[in-house]
Amino acid sequence: MSAIYKVSYVVIGESHPGAILNTDHKPNIGDHISLGSRDFIVVEIVDLMPARGEFHFLHATLRPAPA
Amino acid sequence: MDLLSVLSKVELFDGLTPQELSDVARICTQHEYRTGQVITTQGETGGELYVIADGFVEVVVSPSGQNPSPRTVVHLGRGQLFGEMALVDYGPRSATVKSIADHTLIQVIDRDDFNRLCEADNHLGYVVMRNMAADMSFKLRHYHLTGR
Repeated sequence: MSAIYKVSYVVIGESHPGAILNTDHKPNIGDHISLGSRDFIVVEIVDLMPARGEFHFLHATLRPAPA
Repeated sequence: MDLLSVLSKVELFDGLTPQELSDVARICTQHEYRTGQVITTQGETGGELYVIADGFVEVVVSPSGQNPSPRTVVHLGRGQLFGEMALVDYGPRSATVKSIADHTLIQVIDRDDFNRLCEADNHLGYVVMRNMAADMSFKLRHYHLTGR
């Protein structure tokens, strides 16, 4: 069984509602993330809740990527 | 990707046996939405549960009172569910949800079918309800972290 990461994305530095989605890869600080048509950079990652089974629950803080 | 593979990657169904997952798959109906298409409308009645198999949706709330401007509260992507509040409390839809990507694929589960399945298989019912509570908790934690 491969891990599934359920991630709460919150954007700082601009008005964006944030997002929740599942991903196969654990996001890391410095990663570029696309939410819709916008690109962001991960600046913080924390465990939001303890993992259960193959599910991991993370919170990621994003900043808009430089154009 | 086949439906069982999709459902097995949804937290709501984590902990179900293969047979139970097949039982859930039998009550799912797939719908596809284009960008801008409304899936649920705040204030309307509805008893379906929606599971996002692919794509993105936007959750928009129009508060009543002094600030009636619609506000997008979150975007939801693959593996997430919505419609669970009306599913369990039988109230009106609490938000308008619309697709923000073309080819957004949603698995729709009818409330009556869902309740029949939960009552017929208590293990399935317990696992899915526990996971639904955990999902609501996750959304609440996300909401708190947005600082809104």
